[in-house]
Amino acid sequence: MKVQNIRTVSLILSIVFYLFIGAAVFDALESESESSRKKALEQKLNELKKKYGFSEDDYREIERVILQSEPHRAGRQWKFAGSFYFAITVITTIGYGHAVPCTDAGKAFCMFYAVVGIPLTLVMFQSLGERINTLVRYLLRKAKQGLGFRETEVSMGNMVLVGLLSCASTLCIGAAAFSHFEDWTFFNACYYCFITLTTIGFGDFVALQKKDALQKRPPYVAFSFLYILVGLTVVGAFLNLVVLRFIAVNSDQPEPPVLAVSCISFLLVPVTHTREQHRSTENTSWFLPELQHGRFSFLKSLQSIF
Amino acid sequence: MKRQNARTLALIICTFTYLIVGAAIFDALESRMETTQSLELHQRKAGLLKTFNLSTEDFDELEKVVLQRKPHKAGVQWKFAGSFYFAITVITTIGYGHAAPSTDGGKVFCMLYALLGIPLTLVMFQSVGERINTFVRYLLHRLKKCLGMRHTEVSMANMVIIGFISCMSTLCVGALAFSHFEGWSFFHAYYYCFITLTTIGFGDYVALQNKHALQTKPEYVAFSFIYILTGLAVIGAFLNLAVLRFMTMNTEDEKRDAEHRALLAHNGLAGGHINCSVDMASSSSTTPSGCGGGSAVGGSGGGAASRGLQNVYAEVLHFQSMCSCLWYKSREKLEYSIPMIIPHELSTSDTEAFSNPFQSNGCVCSQQHHSGISSVSTGLHSFSTYRRLNKRRSSI
Repeated sequence: MKVQNIRTVSLILSIVFYLFIGAAVFDALESESESSRKKALEQKLNELKKKYGFSEDDYREIERVILQSEPHRAGRQWKFAGSFYFAITVITTIGYGHAVPCTDAGKAFCMFYAVVGIPLTLVMFQSLGERINTLVRYLLRKAKQGLGFRETEVSMGNMVLVGLLSCASTLCIGAAAFSHFEDWTFFNACYYCFITLTTIGFGDFVALQKKDALQKRPPYVAFSFLYILVGLTVVGAFLNLVVLRFIAVNSDQPEPPVLAVSCISFLLVPVTHTREQHRSTENTSWFLPELQHGRFSFLKSLQSIF
Repeated sequence: MKRQNARTLALIICTFTYLIVGAAIFDALESRMETTQSLELHQRKAGLLKTFNLSTEDFDELEKVVLQRKPHKAGVQWKFAGSFYFAITVITTIGYGHAAPSTDGGKVFCMLYALLGIPLTLVMFQSVGERINTFVRYLLHRLKKCLGMRHTEVSMANMVIIGFISCMSTLCVGALAFSHFEGWSFFHAYYYCFITLTTIGFGDYVALQNKHALQTKPEYVAFSFIYILTGLAVIGAFLNLAVLRFMTMNTEDEKRDAEHRALLAHNGLAGGHINCSVDMASSSSTTPSGCGGGSAVGGSGGGAASRGLQNVYAEVLHFQSMCSCLWYKSREKLEYSIPMIIPHELSTSDTEAFSNPFQSNGCVCSQQHHSGISSVSTGLHSFSTYRRLNKRRSSI
């Protein structure tokens, strides 16, 4: 089987496996807490119903009002500031859901807006991230020269380290700021920053939703927007450095090798050209040591990281 | 200004403009509805308070209970099926938020889980997407041959059209299915599929939350999971086809600049005077190796002839780099049209200058040099343009 197919199949299998493991662990961590909370809430609800003498319909009405009021409680969501916040959550695909378009026209426009905005944003973050990486590489080389190192070349390992440090510090700065402004614990603020900057965006914690911040505290609003965009750039730079090379650009070139995990299979199967399938010449030697140089230097680059 | 910097700046400005325009339009579309709804809800709340003789504290308490009960109403969220659903929303970064970890342990594990899972998923979807594209290209090629068409090559436009059609049909199939199973209108189901497959994932519409579907309807659960993952693969294939090349533009340009500088250094060593001004606007902030090294060593070798050739060659490089945008868009065409002969004549040592013009990626100088590569590129172990470089190396 061609190496690309093997690689793809192994990736699919790893993801499915990863999902199963994740599901099992989340089940173990959250299930009990969920059922005890559910029981407590049901009890509380029955007490309240009895206390105020609600019928089922009464309660349903109250519930509806409360659930629908939820976004309104946090302030005006669709004035310019709120709409800007919403637009950010759309094109960065964070998608908190703290405010969602109610009108059908809003939903339709949201879809068109995303179709253009998401690729634009992806390309922009990768572009800016690459510029940042280049600048960092330059600065690091100058620093090494200035400090009188013998080898002033900036290795991949150096870059990965710097990237990790900047991601961690971005997270910490955000956590400190939001825990102060939003009155969250440091841990919850950290969790919020992480979920935001990975663009997962659950919406269980959302900034700018307290005390009408969107309308009343413009400097804090500006800070939040800038933090999200800059943070995504830093994460994007790190992804550009580490992950992008593993993503196969569509079939114009032979694919770059993938993960250390599939390294072993890669060693045994020669690289083939994917570009012209009908013209490809496949070597079928399945045994070492016909190491292709591309493969070999990949291993070398792995070595330089560790 | 360097091309990469100009491009990046233009993209930033574009994105900000896009955000501002979007915000204005959303404001216009939704603000009024929001005000009306807010007023109405206020009135209903006041009515309820009066009817049931509730104080505001009472109501706040009720509110808290109701809001906390919301995820529970939709079913058991953290049994295996629900957790699997949650795990999917984490690693695909959809993140509905219909269920979010409430325990601290759950939050920590969620972060760690995402840290490894998201890159893995990104690579997987792009890998699958690339395979899908290759397969489609092959099928289309055979189809064209069968139909007896003259040009059996599959163009980029063909692929883009097919990609677009498959995305639309994926969305429509999903919309049909979910509107049936969840009782949504077709438009709302389409909106749900779109928001899911772009991984935005607001959470205003979430599948498997009605009538305890997670526990009672395993086939529907399986269908939903498979739909989400397959749909993401189709979208990923389209992104891989249409967008990915733009994400690597700066990196490719940076590499090409480095190669040019190294090539000029190499030619300077061989042929004497180097035309440094050839380094088209891409002022190397990163490396001095290109011009400086060459002129230091340059001797009496070469002559007017080689200098003339070098100037012509410089013109070609200039043309190539200026047209990098075009180059990316019509890479296939350009490969066949740029004359490959010039570096061959210039090279003094390498007879293996280029073995196969059709395989070159348009970077004419990539065959020749294996030393003097700027430090910019040492960190870049990306293989797409360097593999030919590596072929020339005898020791790594």
